[in-house]
Amino acid sequence: MIKIVKRDQPSKTIFFFTPVLAIFLTLVAGGLIFFILGFKPFEALKFFFIVPIADKYGFSELLLKATPLCLIAIGLSFCFKSNNWNIGAEGQLTFGAIVSGGVALLFYDQEGFYILPIVILAGAIGGIIYASIPAILKTYFNTNEILVSLMLVYVSKLILDYLVVGPWSNPEGFNFPETRQFSESARLPLLFEGLRIHAGIFLALAAVVISWFVFYKTYLGFQMKVSGFSLKTAKYAGYKGKKMIILVFLISGACAGLAGVGEITGPIGQLHREVSPDYGFTAIIVAFLGRLHPVGIIFASLVVAITYLGAETAQIFMQIPKYTGQVFQGMILFFLLASDYLLFFKFKFIGSKK
Amino acid sequence: MNTSLKISNVTKIYPGCVANDNVSLEFNSGKIYALLGENGAGKSTLVKILSGVIIPDEGKICLNENNLNLNSPLDAKKNDIGMVFQHFNLFETLSVFENLIIDSDEKREGLREKIDTIMKKYNFSIDLDIPVLNLSAGQKQKVEIIRCLIRNPKVLIMDEPTSVLTEQETSELFLSLKKFSEEGILIIYITHKLKEVMRLCDEVAVMRRGKLVSISQVKDENIESLANKMVGQNLKTIKKTKEKASSDQLIRITNLNFISEDPFETNLSDINFSVNRGECLGIAGISGNGQSELFQVLSGEIISDKNSIEFNKNYIGDLNPQERREYLMAFSPEDRLEQAAIPQMAIFENVALNNFKSSNFFNNGLINESKIKEHSKKIISDFNVNTDNIDLKSQFLSGGNLQKLIIGRELITSPDLLICFNPTWGLDVGAINYIHETLIKINEQNKSIILISTDTDELLKLSDKISVIHKGKLSNIMNAEEVTSEKLGILMGGGN
Repeated sequence: MIKIVKRDQPSKTIFFFTPVLAIFLTLVAGGLIFFILGFKPFEALKFFFIVPIADKYGFSELLLKATPLCLIAIGLSFCFKSNNWNIGAEGQLTFGAIVSGGVALLFYDQEGFYILPIVILAGAIGGIIYASIPAILKTYFNTNEILVSLMLVYVSKLILDYLVVGPWSNPEGFNFPETRQFSESARLPLLFEGLRIHAGIFLALAAVVISWFVFYKTYLGFQMKVSGFSLKTAKYAGYKGKKMIILVFLISGACAGLAGVGEITGPIGQLHREVSPDYGFTAIIVAFLGRLHPVGIIFASLVVAITYLGAETAQIFMQIPKYTGQVFQGMILFFLLASDYLLFFKFKFIGSKK
Repeated sequence: MNTSLKISNVTKIYPGCVANDNVSLEFNSGKIYALLGENGAGKSTLVKILSGVIIPDEGKICLNENNLNLNSPLDAKKNDIGMVFQHFNLFETLSVFENLIIDSDEKREGLREKIDTIMKKYNFSIDLDIPVLNLSAGQKQKVEIIRCLIRNPKVLIMDEPTSVLTEQETSELFLSLKKFSEEGILIIYITHKLKEVMRLCDEVAVMRRGKLVSISQVKDENIESLANKMVGQNLKTIKKTKEKASSDQLIRITNLNFISEDPFETNLSDINFSVNRGECLGIAGISGNGQSELFQVLSGEIISDKNSIEFNKNYIGDLNPQERREYLMAFSPEDRLEQAAIPQMAIFENVALNNFKSSNFFNNGLINESKIKEHSKKIISDFNVNTDNIDLKSQFLSGGNLQKLIIGRELITSPDLLICFNPTWGLDVGAINYIHETLIKINEQNKSIILISTDTDELLKLSDKISVIHKGKLSNIMNAEEVTSEKLGILMGGGN
């Protein structure tokens, strides 16, 4: 007989093992799905997970996709660790892209070293402004941040749509829904000739280091953590709890906004309708898969980035819809949540009773 | 007609704990049964099984020789088992009448008549058409009881019903319960208060750690014998030696008012009192009469007028809790899990919540983890917290150990004044004793305490002076020796 017993305390080993288990289970389930669809499971998985990153270009693409995921997930980890459920990073990314894109367009016919920093800063501010809406509504009007942040995603996408079709559309662009190309000075530099990987990766790495330091080493991080768990406790300890909640939203908004900057000033170089293939939502999975830990998030962003690439390869070579990528992302989160059960419970095998 | 309820071999296992271990009991109508036990003894689990909220792993329940299958609270209702929970299940904004008929399938008009008859029969007088939020706790409980009576129950289960009642309301409740019993309703009364068992019940079953440890006639027992059965060991009794406290005034509250924007909070009006060094001021009251607001005003979670609080010759009414700590005040809030500590954080992190400049937990904005850990180890050993792992998340501490940690955290800095709110709420007798001893020790060291508590026995045991809070107003301050629990009861109910 198998019995389920509660652990005295969550196992640390299991804590870091469950993401690996979740990935493994996702591969098994994915293989099964491919098999049912009539493909050879191992071959299909190879197309999905190995072929896309087998060469230099593929690897650069992997890092390119992992960069925004990592950056956003780092920001989200501030929110999630302090129990603020900001799920509107996609909106904050979009709004960051709008603001930084707008600034970049102001300088479209100018060159100069000062342009890029302004553009980057504008993106962060855009994300901050957008994240402050759910934060202020939550702290001062008791609204639910999940609903507000989610709904704002669609608002920002519609604003972007209006801008690129209307006032900001390229005057010489034959009515395509896109803006002018930004000037070279407003673009994040490419790191290698012929590859699309750009300097945005350094923003992501800096975010990793800074977030680790702030959250684990500083009094500010401690106060954020306490405020997130319980505003009553924060008040009792004498912290400014509401300000802490707003702060974590702003940090996560800034990160998402920076990810937006990376998208438009990196490979694309202009604003158009689809600045992000739902990075803001996928980053939620990345944050949890990485256990909300900065180092974990680096690995998780790489793993999840593969599903984007794999979906494209699989579409080309196997004629499977690219939405399979989202199926895989969903499965990872699903199996992760399921295996978290092992954190608190363990199976005990006991001989048959009586 | 006689009713008999039989519980045979009921077992319920939760991960990590056996809530009910092979419990068998038999009840017959005409008597009032007490189910006695400490928190966590398994009383509530048993009651929830009887009311269909929890399904047992093993065992049978028979009502009048019929095997009952209780898979939901609805099944319990259908089988004429009525239940009044400790926490009221009423819709505050609906009228009394609407609350009464909400789960009934009978016609409205018929019900109104039926309710009137029930109220007349038992001398209940409640206006059926006012919203429930205007009722007192005692009246709300009557609404819950009427809701059960509408269904003509054979069995009525009361779960710790007196925890929110005044002395007078309790007497009324007991009269009604005796009347129900005479009319053939089988009554099961769950409590951890020994006096009530002696006063009300005919038979008593004691539970401890999920097991049934004894069944006996109440007339064969006394308070000590029941206490020892409940705790499983002989308890030493603690008594405070009352010395003349000094006349050196430590804190003085003058004309303190608080008006809340939240309709569910209580306004405080014109609070005046002072506490001398080495003295314990007890503040009694039924919960929800402004205690929580008073605690917050004293701790600085609610900021008031600067001059309304004078502490050690400083005016501190406008300071936040952290700033007040610097003046050597310490606070132990009522809610251990949601306010005084954060269960998801490690023990040492919880220790850092009480942060003095001089404790150097945080230097230049950085966490000084080794300092905090060193301090935590001292608290754990000085205050008998039963663990040696300060990295443990505090949710894994029992209530008693967590409270020791909190009191320890507040006391290790040797403050001049400790303000505590229901410090022993929900703890087992061993931990209560320890906390009481600690509080007495503080007074002996010439430090002061403001003890806000809903437990009258605790207040009488520990206080030098007592005042009662009712609807946000404090009564006169009385000497503890001159006060009886009856007198407190009258004041708590708003009388004079």
